[in-house]
Amino acid sequence: MQSLFWMMRGLELALLLLLCAALQSNSMSPPGKPVLLSCRSPEKETFTCWWEPGSDGGLPTTHRLYYERERLKGTHECPDYQSAGKNSCFFDKNHTSIWVDYYLTVVASNALGNATSDLLKLDVMEIVKPDPPENVALQVEDREDSPLLHVSWEHPHNTDIKSGWVTIKYALRVKQGNSNKWKEYTSGTQTHFRLYSVSPGVEYTVQVRCMLDHGFWSEWSNTSSMGIPNYLQTERPFWVLMPTLFVILCTVVMFILVLKRKNLKQYVLPPVPRPKISGVDFQLLKSAPTEDTINALNQNFPCMVAWKDQMEDYLIVTENDNRFQPDFFSSQKRKNSLLFPSGLYLHSEIQESEPRLNDQENVGKRSLSYVPAQEHQNPSLNFVFTEAPDQTHSKHDASVKPFPNTGYVDIQRCGGNTQEVDEEQLQYSRVKEVDSALILEKENITLSRSGYTDIQRQEENTSEGYSRVKEVGGDSVVILQQKKNLSPDSAYQEERDYYMDYKPRSPHVTGFNRTGLCTEMNDSGYVDNVLNHF
Amino acid sequence: MEHRKMNGGKVFISVLCVAAVCSAVPVSDLLDRASQRSDTLHALSTLLTHELDSHFPPLGRVIMPRPSMCHTSSLQTPNDKEQALQVSESDLLSLARSLLQAWIDPLTVLSNSANNLPHPAQNSISNKIQELQEHSKSLGDGLDILSGKMGAAAQGISFLPYRGGNDIGHDKISKLTNFHFLLSCFRRDSHKIDSFLKVLRCRAAKMC
Repeated sequence: MQSLFWMMRGLELALLLLLCAALQSNSMSPPGKPVLLSCRSPEKETFTCWWEPGSDGGLPTTHRLYYERERLKGTHECPDYQSAGKNSCFFDKNHTSIWVDYYLTVVASNALGNATSDLLKLDVMEIVKPDPPENVALQVEDREDSPLLHVSWEHPHNTDIKSGWVTIKYALRVKQGNSNKWKEYTSGTQTHFRLYSVSPGVEYTVQVRCMLDHGFWSEWSNTSSMGIPNYLQTERPFWVLMPTLFVILCTVVMFILVLKRKNLKQYVLPPVPRPKISGVDFQLLKSAPTEDTINALNQNFPCMVAWKDQMEDYLIVTENDNRFQPDFFSSQKRKNSLLFPSGLYLHSEIQESEPRLNDQENVGKRSLSYVPAQEHQNPSLNFVFTEAPDQTHSKHDASVKPFPNTGYVDIQRCGGNTQEVDEEQLQYSRVKEVDSALILEKENITLSRSGYTDIQRQEENTSEGYSRVKEVGGDSVVILQQKKNLSPDSAYQEERDYYMDYKPRSPHVTGFNRTGLCTEMNDSGYVDNVLNHF
Repeated sequence: MEHRKMNGGKVFISVLCVAAVCSAVPVSDLLDRASQRSDTLHALSTLLTHELDSHFPPLGRVIMPRPSMCHTSSLQTPNDKEQALQVSESDLLSLARSLLQAWIDPLTVLSNSANNLPHPAQNSISNKIQELQEHSKSLGDGLDILSGKMGAAAQGISFLPYRGGNDIGHDKISKLTNFHFLLSCFRRDSHKIDSFLKVLRCRAAKMC
């Protein structure tokens, strides 16, 4: 019996030990002390409190929030544990009063005991923190020359702005691209904001927050981003158009310059004056001369007459064809660089000496320059009347026909200056007799420039022609070499024809065929042949 | 005597001018100005509280049951939005004026105490207290003018005497505690005034 009793006791003890061991392994205890974290009112009409539970002691633990309030008797429990989530208490409008103190505690309880949090005193006025602003919208606006970013938003919808119960204030922050630097701006009570200093091609990120009644700032709203487009607006076309127009203009100008390059060349680099007969185009003559060109030449002859009026004719006295040497001419030319008359006819052809004349012409043309009657060109030059410095007989003595008529030869005195060219009065010496010598009467007849022609016409059958002066004997004798009797117009024509036989002509040498006189000329020239029928 | 007469004359003229000027200013504008003033007042008091708390966090909201009730707590004021929106305009104005009036003396006490306050930010606090006094005075004057325009009911003011005396304590802790308490009372009342005036402003402007 006693052994049975002790066995029972032993079993109880064992069980008890087991129970104790079991209990110890589960570590059940009263709950830990919860902690009231914070409370918040988003609109000054309700508020929520959150707590953090302590250890639960291994047992199911419940938490309860109890509060007392100024001007309210008794202790009350939280009206709503659900709406705000776990471990929270939501005070709705009916349970929220402002400008009164709340004293809150949270009690955690389980099977083994309770735990009470510290007391929290609050006034709703002190815990106001609104929700962030809603519907933040960005818009790029074009203003004059620069874009701007227009940010707009709405107040959090649970706040009552309309009645004035809360006064809201906003702030925003902006950052560019991927940088982390925010720029903050305050917006007051306005629900929009204009950002003026925006650069095109950059993406801007904006956030907005708000505050009620000098309470706490809300959290920042969700980010809104917008990139500013690269400027293709009004300005760009302008800046594209200008260079394009400029390029087109340049192209056009270049085109025109190229087309008119000859004119341009003439303008910029005026050609060196060369001997030329007005109305005679050497280019034309060089190519196969046709009847038309000859006629054209003929038609231009009157011009020559008129043109002659403006300038003086020169009596060039030379003796030898031998003188037609390049060096001679060139030397002469050098010596008398201004000796070319403005109306010099280059008379460089001798019938008999075709090749030579060619040479002479070639030579002549090199050293002689014919300046058409153009005022802006070289001033009319005077020929120096050479008193036959060296008179050597030319090899080609052509027969000299007798002077049929008397006529006038314009004699330019030596040392005449350019002034004389403009003289209206030319001095003429009457040709007394023409045989092989041109004998001049010492008679000074002053004529007007145009009078030269007139006098010619007064003479019977007087026709103009040109004779080469063979030699000059003294002051009153001039020996002419003449080929044939030529009428003024026909003289030109025949001489021209004559001239035409010789090819090629130098383009620079214009002139008329010599009428047979092989006289030497330092400057080529001719005598205007009053006595046309030599 | 003459001095007093001169003073009286000055006051009379200034009041006349003010009345003349104010008659030309609409009520909504006056309310706007007043609410701006009250906003400044409340902002200042909030700053002061934060400044005071910065060095004594434990004196914040966790511990520290009120030693007593604020001297203005006897005044019946609306405690939530519904109640506030139901109060008439003249009553709201009267409440605001009463509260403001009640703080003239305590602000003087605070100002005096701030000079000797054992607090690291004592100078700044003292400055702000003086600003509070100025703003409070000008707001009171403005509200007086407003009340003249809003009817007889707005003229009534509740008398809320301050019985705390000039002394806020002897030792450092009690000084700070009492100072803190007074300031928190003022902060609450300034918020009330600000809220009432803003409600009045929105109501007068028909929209906000």
